[in-house]
Amino acid sequence: MRPLRLGDKIARLAAAVAACAGLVACAASREKPQSEEPSTDAPAPLCAADDGSLGTAALRRLTRFEYGRTIADLTGAAASVTDELVPDERSFGFDDQADTYSVSTLHVSKYFDVANAAAAALVGDSTRLSAFAGCDPTADSACVEPFVRAFGRRAYRRTLTAEEVSALVALERATATPGDADGVSALVAAMLQSPELLYRPEPSAPDALFGPALATRLSYLVTATAPDDELLDAAEGGALDTTEGLLAQTDRLLATPRATEAFTHFMFEWWDLDGLDGLQKDQALYRAWDASLPGEFTRETQAFLAGAWNDTPSLAVLLGAPYSYLDSTLLGFYGVSGTPVPGTFVRVALDPTRASGLLTQGAFLAVHAKANQTSPTLRGKFIRERLFCDPPPPPPPNIVVSPPTVDPRLSTRQRFAQHTADENCKSCHQLMDPVGFLFEHYDAIGRWRDVDGGQAVDATGYLVGTDVDANFDGVPALAQALVQSDEVRSCVARQWFRYAFGHEATSAADTCTLSALAGELASSNGDLKRVVRATVEQQLFQNQRAEEAAP
Amino acid sequence: MIHLRSPRLSRRTLLTSAAGASIALPWLEAFAPRRASAQTAAPQRFVVMFSPDGLLPSWTPTGTETDFTLSTILSPLAPHQDDIVVVRGLYQEGGGGDGHQNGIGGMLTGTTLNTGPFGGTQAPPAGWASGPSVDQRIADAIGNATKLRSLELGVQVGAADNWGRMCYRASDQPLPPEDDPSAVYARVFADLHTDPAVLAAERARQKSILDAVGADYARVSATLGSADRQRLDAHLDAVRDLEVRLTKVGQLGGAACADPTIHAVPKDDNDAYPDVGGLQLDLLAMALACDVTRVASLQWSRSVSQTRFTWLGITDGHHDLSHLGDGDASAVDKLTRINQWYMSELAALIAKLKAIPEGDGSVLDNTVILYCNELAKGNTHSRVDAGYVLAGSGGGAFETGRFVRFDPSQQIPHNGLLISLLNAFGIADTQFGKPEWSDGPLSGLI
Repeated sequence: MRPLRLGDKIARLAAAVAACAGLVACAASREKPQSEEPSTDAPAPLCAADDGSLGTAALRRLTRFEYGRTIADLTGAAASVTDELVPDERSFGFDDQADTYSVSTLHVSKYFDVANAAAAALVGDSTRLSAFAGCDPTADSACVEPFVRAFGRRAYRRTLTAEEVSALVALERATATPGDADGVSALVAAMLQSPELLYRPEPSAPDALFGPALATRLSYLVTATAPDDELLDAAEGGALDTTEGLLAQTDRLLATPRATEAFTHFMFEWWDLDGLDGLQKDQALYRAWDASLPGEFTRETQAFLAGAWNDTPSLAVLLGAPYSYLDSTLLGFYGVSGTPVPGTFVRVALDPTRASGLLTQGAFLAVHAKANQTSPTLRGKFIRERLFCDPPPPPPPNIVVSPPTVDPRLSTRQRFAQHTADENCKSCHQLMDPVGFLFEHYDAIGRWRDVDGGQAVDATGYLVGTDVDANFDGVPALAQALVQSDEVRSCVARQWFRYAFGHEATSAADTCTLSALAGELASSNGDLKRVVRATVEQQLFQNQRAEEAAP
Repeated sequence: MIHLRSPRLSRRTLLTSAAGASIALPWLEAFAPRRASAQTAAPQRFVVMFSPDGLLPSWTPTGTETDFTLSTILSPLAPHQDDIVVVRGLYQEGGGGDGHQNGIGGMLTGTTLNTGPFGGTQAPPAGWASGPSVDQRIADAIGNATKLRSLELGVQVGAADNWGRMCYRASDQPLPPEDDPSAVYARVFADLHTDPAVLAAERARQKSILDAVGADYARVSATLGSADRQRLDAHLDAVRDLEVRLTKVGQLGGAACADPTIHAVPKDDNDAYPDVGGLQLDLLAMALACDVTRVASLQWSRSVSQTRFTWLGITDGHHDLSHLGDGDASAVDKLTRINQWYMSELAALIAKLKAIPEGDGSVLDNTVILYCNELAKGNTHSRVDAGYVLAGSGGGAFETGRFVRFDPSQQIPHNGLLISLLNAFGIADTQFGKPEWSDGPLSGLI
């Protein structure tokens, strides 16, 4: 395995925890190493290259999400054909971290099955099959070679070499029994599991033709799928060799629905929302819960994110929007007024003293709660870990810790009060629970409540150990502080960097690039679309090369 | 209903009950000639069953080595008491990451986790285990004759990270458990009802595709730097494994081999956990009966499991419960019943293997099942006084019907148990896992 790439801050935190007894671990972690935070007020430095200081980029494998979209685009198979693949490894919530990948015979066996299924779908669709080379390779053997060239260019994201073409044509001949369709299906299946498609091999030499590799980087960054014909044409025509040409293609891609879907995927991973799939709650306690709600919440948040992306996906909107996108089911579930449109999620204005973007949507609230109660700890931990990039350490191994058992005679707040009363627990839990208490008006399935455990809800709490420490009452007040926080902006840039580059920022070029992205976030009023675009302008994105071939 | 599964899994009952699945078996006869040899060969087999989140102090039997009374948790094993060895008191070694991570990672490998990327919320984070697991070392010795070298099954194993992996082919090479019974069925048993001529043609086609794919991986690998090349070569190795597997398709054997019956289940639905597990146990048992593999494992959930045992009337998450204090009578009662339930599943597996005749006895006689947990005690993450159950004698390698108690204060590394298992399968190694923890087999076990 590649050497560990870890944020210095986390490494230091780890060292602090290892060095201290459990009791003082969190006190130590709160001495935040400010110098390691990317600066947001200095002008973005040029993270220059040409002297090797960019380091090398690790080989990336398409995630299940990217692979599904890629082969769906190529073959017309449903993207869900990849559901049977082994799940992607995750680190920091993201499924595209190159250091985490493992491969086993089961992985490869599943790729084989999926590639065959997608190949069969394509071969069964004569119209789509014939569109690649203007002829049907299953009906006309003279069409096989032009098909290989045309399909191969899309599949391998570059023009195939003569050797590759002849090897694939030979495969088709060897497998064309009983019919030509079998041979075409075999060659398509082989290409769909080739490293040229499934992985993203890139040239290592600085002077190598880099346009197609850059097109692939750009396409997966912005749209989470392979380059389309227009982008490949631009790449092979040299149009991506200038930043202007690259940005022209970036802007074109940013306006496509594919970009909206890719942004939504990033947001779901950052916000830990994939847990919605199959989420279950204790239905004896939450009678309003039913199996359709996770899907409803997913579509609400997808519609909200698409709306934000197509306008301005700023932190102020994402964290503070006093509106959401609801269908008739969710209007009823949340108990808010609006004009119901069955099956359609339309923008609905909400009470600004209650609603606050993603933070008060069912998706976030239900995932960050237990099956039978809210969890101020889980909600506070999310804010600390995913919005401040300052995760509390795990419970020390030598004490007995647990959330309290449900006692309906007490409020959640009272039950969790033992955390901050017990000195063993206080040092860490005061970083999380008082933040989580701000969400107490929202129950474990995401509905507003005024009473908990027979008592009026107290949603006051505080942030401590951040650059926006204060007392608050409720989520909208918290969100206003988060939007103002330099630490939150730095953290958002860090989350995006992890996703965009597939690893933690460690090298000097990485951290310099991270600072530039954080700077873009600050100067654009927190606009994430501007950060995506600014990523493409970075030397690290444009010029980093793969490691030289080993002898 | 799953608790009432028939322990008898004979071919005859399965065939007569297969009408619902309407699976005809015209090609099964093709395997008939192998049965006699399979009976006389009586291959050894190794099975691992894991359950998560720690044992309890009350897990331990009382009495002497040969005259002992099972605890409440272990009581479902009573019908099989003569076929098991209960082991308690070892120190389950492991290192790196948090207690659950290094617990599940060290349990079968006897070594530490590499540094790595898992644990964005934990400090320090850790990677995959740094060596092979005992089942894979055993598969090196006994896994090469069968279609599958080993079969890793799971039940709701969750995310792909080091909290959810216990089997490793080698350092940094975790083996993901497959947790969808219908996918397992398709992968393992589809050949049973395919026309041999069709199967042969399909195999030839698959081999052509894999040849081309393998050549691609070899070519691209040669252009890569060393770290990237290592990763792509692992992929290439797996492609070659698949090719080798094609040459073994159809080599199913065993007198009791029959097409298992399965039904659709919502595999990720908490309340379907017993049903999914029951299907996986059926598939595992039949994979052994058919000699599709001789090394198998079943991983229930994962470390830090939050399974809610609603079918026992328990709605709390298992891991939440596992952290409550020893003085919390309600929690102790629930955890006792949860662990007891897992033991009833182990008993069901033992019964299934007993029901498959082989030679003068049953498949169980030639098998060793190892039951394990990532922690000795859930609420402290302690691995002192770890407990294990062995079932079956592995063809006489172990003397069963015993309770072997070690002194936990001695902190004897559990590597000795893993080495004893290797020895039971004819592997004469005296070291396994981390050398510092590795000092020959356990005395008094074999």
